[in-house]
Amino acid sequence: MKTKLKQRDCRCDGISRRDFLHLGTLSCLGVSLADMFRFQAVAGDSARRVRSPKDNSCILIWLDGGPSHLEMFDLKPDAPHEIRGDFKPISTSASGIQICEHLPRTAKVMQDVALIRSLTHELGNHDTGARYLLTGHRPTPAVNYPSLGSIVAHETGFARAMPPYLAIPNDGVGGDSGAAKAGYLPGAYAPFSVGGDPSRGDYKVRDLDAPEGVSFDRTQRRQSMLKSIDDFSRAIEEGPSTQSRDAFYEQAYRLITSPQAKAAFNLSGESAANRDRYGRSRIGTGCLLARRLVEAGARFVTVVDTGWDTHQQIFKALPDAFFPGSGKLPALDRAYSGLLTDLKERGLLETTLVVLMGEFGRTPKLNSLGGRDHWPRAGSVCFAGGGVRGGQVIGATDAYGEVPVERPVRPEDAAFTILKLLGVDPIKEYLASGNRPLKIMAEGSFISELV
Amino acid sequence: MSLGPFPVNRTERCALPFWLSRVFSAFCISLGVLTACATDGPNIGRLDFPTQILPLLTKAGCNSGACHGAAVGQGGFRLSLLGYDPESDYEAITRELEGRRIDLATPARSLVLLKPTRQIEHEGGRRIKRDSEACAKIADWIASGAPYGNRSLRVERIEVQPSDVLLERTNSTFRIRVTALLSDGGQQEVSGLALYSSNDDSLAEVDNQGAVTVRRRGVTAIMVRYSGQVAAVRVAVPFQETPLDKIEFATRTLVDEWVLKELKRLRLPPSPLSNDSEFYRRIHLDLIGALPTEADVRAFLNSPRDAAARERVIDDLLASDGFIDFWTMKLADLLLIHSKRLGDAPARAYYSWLRRHVASNTPLDKLVSELLTAQGNAAEYGPANFHRLKQDPRDMADYASRALLGIRVACARCHNHPTDRWTQEDYHRFAAYFARTTVDGQTVSLNTHGEVLHPKTNQRMNAKPLGASEPSELPSDRRAHFAEWLRSNENRALGRALVNRVWKELMGRGLIEPVDDLRVTNPASNPALLEALVSDFIKGGYDLRRLVRTIAASRTYQLSSRANEVNRLDDRLFASAYAKPLSAQVLADAVSQATGIAGDYSGYPEGTRAVQLLDPAVQSYALDVFGRCEREAVCESAGQSGGGLSQALHLINGPTINGKLKQAVAKYLDANRPMPEIITSFYFATMGRSPESHETAQWETLVATSDRAEALEDLLWALLNSREFAYNH
Repeated sequence: MKTKLKQRDCRCDGISRRDFLHLGTLSCLGVSLADMFRFQAVAGDSARRVRSPKDNSCILIWLDGGPSHLEMFDLKPDAPHEIRGDFKPISTSASGIQICEHLPRTAKVMQDVALIRSLTHELGNHDTGARYLLTGHRPTPAVNYPSLGSIVAHETGFARAMPPYLAIPNDGVGGDSGAAKAGYLPGAYAPFSVGGDPSRGDYKVRDLDAPEGVSFDRTQRRQSMLKSIDDFSRAIEEGPSTQSRDAFYEQAYRLITSPQAKAAFNLSGESAANRDRYGRSRIGTGCLLARRLVEAGARFVTVVDTGWDTHQQIFKALPDAFFPGSGKLPALDRAYSGLLTDLKERGLLETTLVVLMGEFGRTPKLNSLGGRDHWPRAGSVCFAGGGVRGGQVIGATDAYGEVPVERPVRPEDAAFTILKLLGVDPIKEYLASGNRPLKIMAEGSFISELV
Repeated sequence: MSLGPFPVNRTERCALPFWLSRVFSAFCISLGVLTACATDGPNIGRLDFPTQILPLLTKAGCNSGACHGAAVGQGGFRLSLLGYDPESDYEAITRELEGRRIDLATPARSLVLLKPTRQIEHEGGRRIKRDSEACAKIADWIASGAPYGNRSLRVERIEVQPSDVLLERTNSTFRIRVTALLSDGGQQEVSGLALYSSNDDSLAEVDNQGAVTVRRRGVTAIMVRYSGQVAAVRVAVPFQETPLDKIEFATRTLVDEWVLKELKRLRLPPSPLSNDSEFYRRIHLDLIGALPTEADVRAFLNSPRDAAARERVIDDLLASDGFIDFWTMKLADLLLIHSKRLGDAPARAYYSWLRRHVASNTPLDKLVSELLTAQGNAAEYGPANFHRLKQDPRDMADYASRALLGIRVACARCHNHPTDRWTQEDYHRFAAYFARTTVDGQTVSLNTHGEVLHPKTNQRMNAKPLGASEPSELPSDRRAHFAEWLRSNENRALGRALVNRVWKELMGRGLIEPVDDLRVTNPASNPALLEALVSDFIKGGYDLRRLVRTIAASRTYQLSSRANEVNRLDDRLFASAYAKPLSAQVLADAVSQATGIAGDYSGYPEGTRAVQLLDPAVQSYALDVFGRCEREAVCESAGQSGGGLSQALHLINGPTINGKLKQAVAKYLDANRPMPEIITSFYFATMGRSPESHETAQWETLVATSDRAEALEDLLWALLNSREFAYNH
């Protein structure tokens, strides 16, 4: 099995010494000092801090189905009711920034959040939209692009006991889109799906513990018996396939036998107070688990929360659903604010990028069922931590939340930025299947206002 | 694409904002210090843009996918990928930007020269030297008025010399000579302008003038591209300097003749014949996807063991129901049979239709033809489902060409194929075959209208097969013409794709890899063998069982998987058997067989094997982590997409193995057999062989000194987790 992937020198290389020189020489031609600083803040990140962005981790909270910007982060109180809907904006800890009344806890942490209100693209289906956002590439039949997490995993490798890329509970996003998977990268870079429902009291990650009745001694005996059989049997020649199989067995044993890594999957290590802070919902426990995994060495954790496809009864579904307070927003509110606060208290926010997004926004005009349909032309994304400057809004939509009127941000830009903030060079070249040279990101640019 | 009044910030990637670079270049030019080229042109008379200027830009990398050839161009300047569309490139160069890319009055001030020679800022760096012939030629062309030239002149094809090279030692070098044959009958030597790339850089390097240096022993190919045409140069270096061993074996089928010829040429000594238990396990896993039973292995080992005995085993397996189940599954993977997408009844009809044809050994070309021309109610007539997979005729073309012909044409949807000869027009004309199929729910019917339009010219595309001449007339069912073309005598495309896939299933590696990327520039590792097999396959009437038999009865198939010192380096000439990881369903079935406890597949009768499942809709975590083909798209190779870490964890700790151990061991203990016999049975059940005496002794000691049942469970666990179990070798 020949590996499909090798790195290539990039011809049209981007950020480099050359660019720096030019900024230097060209400042007389009108590049402002502020631009210079902003530029250096990105490129010179590693020089200023002890940790480099390569040590940064990312928790991506994926709101599957398409979260409504108009009910969350981009309210239009002055628009007619059929646009504005039922919810009212409230002020936040970031002066001048208002968000939805059903996100009161989030309002208190907005000083740490950079809110992008101008995400825009054209793909209004769940699968294609999710692929676009999670890979940074408009889907095409010719190339199966890898997810951002898989790229980060590829750049990280498997040296630690904790896998580099995990999905909570699994990588099923945007229907069967495969958007969170490894694309043209080898399957090893697909996320490790923890599976199950972390919010259940008896939650356990599948296959992490020895089967019932098998003691630690027997686990060790089995391992040594296996080694003895494999060492003796010369029927199988060494090759890429056996090497990768052996590597996964090794990684599995590292994980199984690392009390620290294993403990990260066990939520009973958390105090009741902290569990309550995140909320006992799926998304709340998912975020809490994500924090534990990042703490234990994971680099990219995707927390998938389903149910955001609110075509009907949006003003009931989002806050209340079955009974008052049981909807999507209160759960997200606790989970998101709990995560940011907890990370901050632990000194992890600086090195953990938290991204909150879904595949698209929703139609500004309410439909006849009191819901909103798919609307890729405008949506909101929140960035926090990982060196991001909080308390700011980037971009704006028009009076009805239909299209960006300021600073449009494309999925390519969001992807480019996430990679950059994690210390991955977004324009590095890979060879995809068929030896096709591809930059990780062919388009997109850094959202420089973020830092 | 720019949106809204605010340009997308590109400071990360471009040194200069676009407007700034313009200010800067204007500033530089106004200084009047620049001359475009350091040398005067050779004054070559009339220069045509498509055949003489554009190749210079292609050679310089200007229109590569990473630069201006990207779909969105680069820095506001967009060229067609590798120059496939000379007319639009000509427009871009001579008309866009108010014609400032060329300066007819002062050619030296043309941006098209100042940029690549890096006399003014250019993000792509210096691509053309000022003192080069290329620079002078472009300047001359501009000075002569930048004519487009002869609009009908095209490069028809290219010829390379040599096309097949055997070099004696590593670090030796040779040069490729490339000749372009033009549509007006003329010829042009273009060795300096062609693009070269090695299919394996670690084996052979090629520089940009076509000089090849081989770095290690083995075979590979150099891909040559010029003006939309492609060719390949095969390069080989023998595996040893002098033939140390006599390379000879008795040939059994036509496979061996061609393999042996290549092994001799490359001085590659083959491994010996596999032993009988290795052969017996291998042929069962390959032909019926199941392990042989202990009783069968013992019986085989006790019978006369010659080539004829092995052939009898092959024939018995070819005639078994196991063969039908297993090969139906393989074909169902290719046809993406899935009840979730097709609906329950249609998926069942599709599967039954397929299984019936595999059972009756229908010629595969006939089966393909039935697929292509199918119409009717998909719940009653299975093959109609083929057309329900994709709505858009282009998606259908992508799928059909990949699944049936093993070629990837999707690149040519948006631009000419960069590594094959397909043009954008070829692609859309091929897609036109599927433009009149209408799918309404479960019903597939033909329409009298429906066309595919060329995305650039909006012209209606007349259906034409890929790489064939113009059809004289199309039947009302266009697809019938395509099917007829596929089955015509001179057409080897379908046969080649099928032979290559079947070869891979049995040999672990396609003669061409990947098996769905067949193209001129990706030659087979043993082209003569592939072509001989294709001829035989077509002559034999596209007979699947006959093909399997030709391969499986060969000595090549039956070689040991143990490599020798020399052939350890070989991974494509089949000097030894290559170990294959068990595919998902086969692995799950093997665990069930070895433990004697069937898998649990809800909705199916007890004892159903995983290879008998109709589709992946049945829930099974084990099959998921073992990497079953999800049938969302054509799977590159079963078992290769396995879940890595999740799979390892599941095999170590999961219930698929652990849940069966106690019960399995209890059965052996109940029979009250002596310990060495139980241990021997474990080995037969998992490895298809008896244990070595020291293995029996080692485990006997262990069992004697600890809890008997637990020790046996642990032994069975270790055998089921072993590499030898997990591979077909």
